[in-house]
Amino acid sequence: MPLTRREFIKFTGLALAASSLGMLGFGESGEAQAAAVRPFKLTRATETRNTCTYCSVACGILIYSMGDRAKNARSNIIHIEGDPDHPVNRGTLCPKGSALLDVVHAPTRLRVPRYRPPGGTEFKDVSWDYALDRIARLMKDDRDKNFIAKNAAGTTVNRWTTVGMLAASASSSETSYLTWKAVRSLGMVVFDNQARV
Amino acid sequence: MKQAAAPPDAQWSGPVHAGVKAPDPILLPDPALRFAATAQRLDKLAAGHPMDAWLRFMARLARAQHVVATTLGPATALSPAVVAQAAEARLPPLAADGHRREAIWQQGLALLLEYIDGSDLPLAAREAMEQLRRSEAATLDQLADDFLRGELAATDAGVVVYVAAALQVYFTCSAARLRIEGLRLLEQRALCPCCGSPSVSGLITATGVIPGTRYLYCSLCSTAWNHVRAMCITCGGTRQLFLQGIEGDPGVIKAETCGDCHTYVKLLYQQHDMQVDPYADDLASLGLDILVAEDGYGRHAPNPLLLMG
Repeated sequence: MPLTRREFIKFTGLALAASSLGMLGFGESGEAQAAAVRPFKLTRATETRNTCTYCSVACGILIYSMGDRAKNARSNIIHIEGDPDHPVNRGTLCPKGSALLDVVHAPTRLRVPRYRPPGGTEFKDVSWDYALDRIARLMKDDRDKNFIAKNAAGTTVNRWTTVGMLAASASSSETSYLTWKAVRSLGMVVFDNQARV
Repeated sequence: MKQAAAPPDAQWSGPVHAGVKAPDPILLPDPALRFAATAQRLDKLAAGHPMDAWLRFMARLARAQHVVATTLGPATALSPAVVAQAAEARLPPLAADGHRREAIWQQGLALLLEYIDGSDLPLAAREAMEQLRRSEAATLDQLADDFLRGELAATDAGVVVYVAAALQVYFTCSAARLRIEGLRLLEQRALCPCCGSPSVSGLITATGVIPGTRYLYCSLCSTAWNHVRAMCITCGGTRQLFLQGIEGDPGVIKAETCGDCHTYVKLLYQQHDMQVDPYADDLASLGLDILVAEDGYGRHAPNPLLLMG
């Protein structure tokens, strides 16, 4: 096989004898190196791009996690930093963004839907089914009551102005498109996303 | 802005230290520093290293490269028209396999061999030097062509180290004479914008305009160019990328392995060691190469001073 300087090569302890190192008489160095790493294992971390959740600037972030996604193990986020390749922030983060790791691991972080009934004093955990059913019910009732199909002049307007929605900051163009399609089709006109505020 | 008014010129008008800047796309090498830095770093890494004999030899070679780079007259600079034409066609102006080398590279090789004190080197290393000293110009050119085109016979893996070292000096000095304004990154972002060679390793900076930028360092002409992080430089994949390091080490060197194309590239983190050198640390971290290869990954491209059949 010809010696290449462009294609992939695999270094193994045995093949080192036939490498430049072995051919110049430094085979012992190669053997010593192969023996020296034998007891060691490799650590694995993943580097993932994402967008900061906080504000409309939508800074790019790199999230580092330990754990092998392929082996069904729980991965654990160990570090978050600004993404130097992101044109918005070029690796920088504000003090809030720099503390994102604490948001991820905060014991007070919201993990399940919580509900405080009208007149109640405390939130209690509820199931997703309950929360979604309740939101759908209330939205439907409100829309049935306040939907404006035609204006005073008799022109069809199909407006629902009594309920609004604010979407998140970490919105891509596609997310914003879906937000628009889902909400506007109900007739809702009061909506925006945090990424534009 | 009003309709039909003149558009803003998008120039930053605030203080020079503020504002969001873009990283330099290309950093040209400085031949007066490049090989001296590698030699110094190799000396430091060799202490107590399992491969100390090899690394000390590499340091000696790098010091000889430094002498050649600083004493030999530079090759003729490429004309701006040739560089502009190459940039227009998105081709490397100093293309390693197409560029017509000047004979000065052979003077460089002769000087390199003269400067290396071979008295205490292994017999094979001395014989390889002797073989090159006796070779005719045409043979040397053939060897250089075969090396640059990847058509070298496996038995030449030893001899080629000196040839590769001389070519590194020649191409580094040539690249240093290019004007950076005329250069463009190639569409194949993993290849050097000056000579089209693959990189030897990547450096994640800790200083400069934008700390944390990844620069790939050319295996031949020592040019550095910016490459997006968290992306496989071989296939562009992002889904199955892992940063693998040796358990318990200081975290200076990681292999970025890609599960899509089963290759890896070594990354050096300046943040953990400001003295890190893309060439020296790559040679000294052969242990990581061995462990990652056992996991089934192939290296993106070899270091020209450590070729393997």
